[in-house]
Amino acid sequence: MNPLLAVENLCISFAGQQAVDAVSFELNAGECLALVGESGSGKSVTARSLLGLSGGTVSAEKLMVCHENALALSEPAWQKIRGNSVVMILQDALMALDPLRPVGREIEDVLKEHGTLNSKARRAKVIEALASVDLPDPERRMKQRSTQLSGGMRQRVLIAQALIGDPQIVIADEATTALDSRLAALVLEQLAALKNEGRAVLMISHDLAQVAQLADRIAVMRAGKIVESGTAEQILNYPQHEYTRTLLQAIPSGVPRFAPLSTKAIAREPGPLPPAGPDTTAALVVENLSKSFAKHPAVIEAGFVLPRGSTLGLVGESGSGKTTTARMVLGLERPDTGTVTLLGERFAPHSEAARRSLRKNIGAIYQNPLGSFDPRYSVGQILADALSAGRSKRGTSYKDHVARLLEQVELDPTLSGRNPRELSGGQRQRLAIARALAPEPQVLVLDEPVSALDVSIQATILDLLDRLQLETGTSYLFISHDLSVIEHMSDSVAVMYQGRIVEQGRTAEVFGDPQHEYTRSLLTALPRLR
Amino acid sequence: MSRTAKILSSLFIAFWVLTAFAPSLIAPADPLAINPAQAFQAPSGAHIFGTDESGRDVFTRVIHGAGDSLYIGLAATALGMGLALVLGTAAALAPRWLDEVILRVLEALYSVPSLLMALLIIAFTGPGVGPAIVAVGLSTAPGYARLVRSQIRTLKNSEMLEAATVLGRGTWLKVRNHLVPNALQPLLALVTLGIGQAVIWAAALSFLGLGTPPPAPEWGAMLSAGRTYLHLAWWLSFFPGLAIVVVAAGATLIGRALGGKVKAI
Repeated sequence: MNPLLAVENLCISFAGQQAVDAVSFELNAGECLALVGESGSGKSVTARSLLGLSGGTVSAEKLMVCHENALALSEPAWQKIRGNSVVMILQDALMALDPLRPVGREIEDVLKEHGTLNSKARRAKVIEALASVDLPDPERRMKQRSTQLSGGMRQRVLIAQALIGDPQIVIADEATTALDSRLAALVLEQLAALKNEGRAVLMISHDLAQVAQLADRIAVMRAGKIVESGTAEQILNYPQHEYTRTLLQAIPSGVPRFAPLSTKAIAREPGPLPPAGPDTTAALVVENLSKSFAKHPAVIEAGFVLPRGSTLGLVGESGSGKTTTARMVLGLERPDTGTVTLLGERFAPHSEAARRSLRKNIGAIYQNPLGSFDPRYSVGQILADALSAGRSKRGTSYKDHVARLLEQVELDPTLSGRNPRELSGGQRQRLAIARALAPEPQVLVLDEPVSALDVSIQATILDLLDRLQLETGTSYLFISHDLSVIEHMSDSVAVMYQGRIVEQGRTAEVFGDPQHEYTRSLLTALPRLR
Repeated sequence: MSRTAKILSSLFIAFWVLTAFAPSLIAPADPLAINPAQAFQAPSGAHIFGTDESGRDVFTRVIHGAGDSLYIGLAATALGMGLALVLGTAAALAPRWLDEVILRVLEALYSVPSLLMALLIIAFTGPGVGPAIVAVGLSTAPGYARLVRSQIRTLKNSEMLEAATVLGRGTWLKVRNHLVPNALQPLLALVTLGIGQAVIWAAALSFLGLGTPPPAPEWGAMLSAGRTYLHLAWWLSFFPGLAIVVVAAGATLIGRALGGKVKAI
């Protein structure tokens, strides 16, 4: 059979910088190939070059797209192929759709560009396409704008838009990344249906667990090269390359608590927790917490207990009220009702002045640490500021203490003169953790601390958090949309849905025998490798 | 800024500071000394910028005029920015209703053309250096104030300040360590840009006869006086005009370079 995509020794460079280096693969009709790698591995650039959109200098021994020599195609010739024979589904559906136009119009554009149908026939085809991706009530939805649709609906609109030109090749660029496990499963289902219809699917993803469900073959990319490729079964069960093994090991789902995810970390026994002392009050007690914004309830009667030295995972999709709960716990948002008790003392609602003396006991880690640093401060100054309670940012008197903190989070002390902007994402998160640890808090609130990181970096940060908890006995309120991370990190779990905590209990119990319907739907959709 | 740019800007600023404070070091002659016999001399070795209708040396007058022009420019910018800092910070930190009131006042001020406002003020006070400063300062204040307000507002709601709250910092520490320094940095570039603009404004008012009264050497006034003789002595208007252009362009370039890191300007 003649492959729909044939790539041989593809090289792409940007201003002399090699982004993709001698990449070769083939893709047949009715087959799914996954390009897996971390950010900067060149997987997205490779995918874009198949649409003539790489923006760099492309050279290859062979680059055949739908039996045409893509190296010789002119821009008008590309326009005939794009959206017609080859389509791409993008990651961020909100960005990919024009917020000012009804989504039906956006889909119709493809037909206008490539077809000869009249407007009535086009309309009918749009409705048909939207119905085929299981979008409820397509006649009404097609008149709405992308901002009026939910995330899942938007993603389905994008798929409908991709399918309407009846493409032979579908490229999905991180199409499931921003979605929770239920929506991701839905999108994967759609992609599987495409494959079964005899289309070729090229999946671009950083998540091996996600592609495992769909891909027939997997190619693992790193630094512009394919380091290993083979059938999905080979790659997942008998990985040959060191890097593939690192990626597989980094997947947290099903890994027991405190077992290392990164190759660098040393295996540790859960061991005895540091003595809790005579004080057996819970680290954090949240009771009956509610908050509404402009009469729209964000959190409804949330309550949970975080025992000392343990981790409570708070899981839910975006908009479920997790972050509002975290902000109330941190005293950044005043609750409408309910109380937060920190180490047996009232923390919220309370006046900021009354609360300030308690603040040293609770710290916070955010998804995007860079925004939480003063841009004028160096790494050392940020830590000196935290250690001196804001009185001094000059490192001199705190030099040893700063070095010790950096060591604690496994950062090179020579970094202390740098600006956080010059650090990598993982290093920034380590710095944020070091700063939060400076006042030696009893409780850390971690709001999506690893969501912006690649899996292998995520693994090292999770290992670090494990180690620190064992060493210091700090309690974690760990907030994430990612079930597999929550499962690995938490002693107990609270599941949030539409502002309510619908289920909570010991992690093993909730994951083993979910009681609430929403939890069950999340768990059945969770991709598992182990 | 590159090293060369830093050196050039420093030299530029040093030169104008010197001319403003000690003009006699560069042009030792008396800017007001008239010599009718030497009237309308074209630029030459003896008078490098030529002489005017009363035989006064144009070079000496341009150098001695720097003081007034720069003084008006700096003082007006300081006045405008000072006012803006107070109003903008108040609006950003105040309760919503006060914010609205300040915003409406600023919008009203904004809607009056700057020149008209300057004329209005001078109509009350009569021409002079002081009124020119007040006029230029007041007319630039609303624009600055809106920028200050949005700057402080963005910072106030930033994750950085939230992180400081979580670390237990009180209001005073947050304002002193994070809010003020981070708000001032981009404003510094803006101030430099504003000085160039204010110098032009001041010259414009003098040109209209509303600034420094004659016979004092002021660039705008010289430009205006030379206009009458433009057909026979181009240098009368050309050199004061050149000085205005050099100062305004220089200040703008330095401001741009300072603001290079800061977008939105």
